[in-house]
Amino acid sequence: MTGEQVVFYAFAALAVTSALATVTRRNPVVAAVWLVATFFAVAVCYVMLSATFLAAIQILVYAGAMMVLFVFVIMVLDVDERGREEHRRPSRIAKISYYGSLVLSGGFLTWVLVGSLARQYLKPGADLRLRPEFGSAEDVGHLLFTKYLFAFEAISLMLLAAVIGAVVVARSHRERAKEATRSGMSPEALHAAGLGDHDPAGDIAPGGPTPITDFGAPSATGHDGGT
Amino acid sequence: MLPITHFLYLAFALFLIGTAGVLLRRNVLIVLMSIELMLNAANIVLVAFSRMWGNTDGQVLAMLTIAVAAAEAAVGLAIVVSIFRARTGTDIDDLSLLRD
Repeated sequence: MTGEQVVFYAFAALAVTSALATVTRRNPVVAAVWLVATFFAVAVCYVMLSATFLAAIQILVYAGAMMVLFVFVIMVLDVDERGREEHRRPSRIAKISYYGSLVLSGGFLTWVLVGSLARQYLKPGADLRLRPEFGSAEDVGHLLFTKYLFAFEAISLMLLAAVIGAVVVARSHRERAKEATRSGMSPEALHAAGLGDHDPAGDIAPGGPTPITDFGAPSATGHDGGT
Repeated sequence: MLPITHFLYLAFALFLIGTAGVLLRRNVLIVLMSIELMLNAANIVLVAFSRMWGNTDGQVLAMLTIAVAAAEAAVGLAIVVSIFRARTGTDIDDLSLLRD
């Protein structure tokens, strides 16, 4: 067993066990931490496939940005999951897992068939002479800005749309009603948009829009009692 | 050099675990994390075949997949936040308004 194999099997085992832990943990924060472990193990696999730049991206984007987003949302939501899933209807779980395992075993069968039929094509690229710069930032970037330029631009547009969409979706009812009132919607139009069930006129004080937050009514002295 | 099949088996195992999480878990946050797992499995396959053929295109596609996954996480978590505001819960079985 070569050192390469030892590293691969160790990190593959880590990836699988931490993925299992991600799916089975009850507390979402613990699950998120296990997911970070999975991402690191997958990044090691990328390095072993000589995709070094992609491994760095994996750690930066997944383990860095996306996990922070997840943990932030979990903290904001203040979810308490302990002991909530035991009292659920088991028949539904049974049904879903039945059909799920049916689909998965069918997929596995296909996998074995295809794998054994195409065995000669799945031999490793051991005799393949890789270019020394294979997988580097220069290599990937060159391809990204020439052949995949359109996809790159489309992806950037999609990210912009996702950011705007996330902000729009995550706004609270109160914020939406306040903005609609400020932009001059009539009370009838507000009601038609489903925003009118708290009095929109109360949001606009005579001296201009009052800063209304979700943390209770604003006080003249501030939340810390005025210092 | 390891056989490519071993990377494919790893990707298969991760995808399987992710699918099980999406199907069996009720917490919508865990379901989102399982989707991330499945996208990661797809990325491993892309990178493995890119290594097999000595062709960088697979890695570029994997990068695009990572971007899509990031956007999906952002929008999904925004939806979770707004659902949580409206219903105070993260159980996906409570979200049956469009089905009924």
